[in-house]
Amino acid sequence: MKYSYIKPRRKTLLTPELKLILAFFSITLFMLLSTYLFLVFKDYMFDNAKKEILNNRYDLNVSISQMKEQIRSIEVEKLLSEKIYTQNSVLKESITNLFDLVPERITLSRATLLENGLILYGITPNKDVYNFMLQAPLRSIFHKTYSSFYPAKNGWYSFVSTNYIQEDLMQTQSNDEKKELEDED
Amino acid sequence: MKINISRQNIYMLLISIFLLIFVLLFSFLVLIPEGKEYREKRTELKKEQRLLMEYQNFHDETHDLLKTLQSENRTIMRAFDTGFNPNKFEKKHASYFASLSVSKNHSLSKEGEFSVYEVNTSSQISSPKNFYEFLESVNKSDWIIGVNFPIEFKREGELIKSSFSIKVYSNSKDVNETL
Repeated sequence: MKYSYIKPRRKTLLTPELKLILAFFSITLFMLLSTYLFLVFKDYMFDNAKKEILNNRYDLNVSISQMKEQIRSIEVEKLLSEKIYTQNSVLKESITNLFDLVPERITLSRATLLENGLILYGITPNKDVYNFMLQAPLRSIFHKTYSSFYPAKNGWYSFVSTNYIQEDLMQTQSNDEKKELEDED
Repeated sequence: MKINISRQNIYMLLISIFLLIFVLLFSFLVLIPEGKEYREKRTELKKEQRLLMEYQNFHDETHDLLKTLQSENRTIMRAFDTGFNPNKFEKKHASYFASLSVSKNHSLSKEGEFSVYEVNTSSQISSPKNFYEFLESVNKSDWIIGVNFPIEFKREGELIKSSFSIKVYSNSKDVNETL
């Protein structure tokens, strides 16, 4: 460095030391601000992602409740159809059993199946055949059995057999059976 | 003792103190709370993502269950959605009877969420076996049909006249239009 008495050295505010300090603080400030901006940006991204997740969850919720409703509806349909199919099968078995009950010597002319009863019209060679071969099994099935006879032209007897099941008795019996089963368990 | 500090050094010191205070204030008042918020939001997002995953899994399970039920009960579902057609019914089951006629009995009623209406049928069969076969075929028909009491069988010469009512269950609202 040259020293002169005539030409003074130029003095500047930004000395190398000050420049160094300014550089150091600029870097520090840059790092602080960039960290802050990074955090703000991330927060914004998180908010957006959360909104999207909430929307997806809402859509899934709607879809799940719609599917649950469909499942419920299918299960109700399935239960009802099974109930109806079972009733039809039971009905078929009942009719089969009814016709199997009638002995060959007795001829039916009409049969009416009611929900809680059975009315049979037919002819029998004599009352004993009817009483032993048809009335006896009917009595074991139905709670009330009424029979009436009137003579037919060929010497046989026409008969009307009216048979009923008492619903309240059936109810009591099924309750007793349920109780027995529960006791056994 | 006199301390000789140049003006320049005083400036430097002041700037340093100012920047230091700024850094401290900025860090404690802005950066640290923001960082805390960032951490909280990140944890919350992870929780939400986990929850979403659970929802997604449940959704997939429900979807699988629905598809299984739909494939297992396709026939039943179709039967409930099909409106009753008496002509088609007669045509389909005519083979079991010597004659078959179907007539509407009651107007449409509701049983739970299903439309139910009763139809009277009168027919002639050659043997009770035909009626058993009809009862078996009813369970495989295009509709959900329940055979109802009273059922009457009457001998007419070589044939048996049978009359009974059937209940047809349906989902469709336009069931009346088909009759």
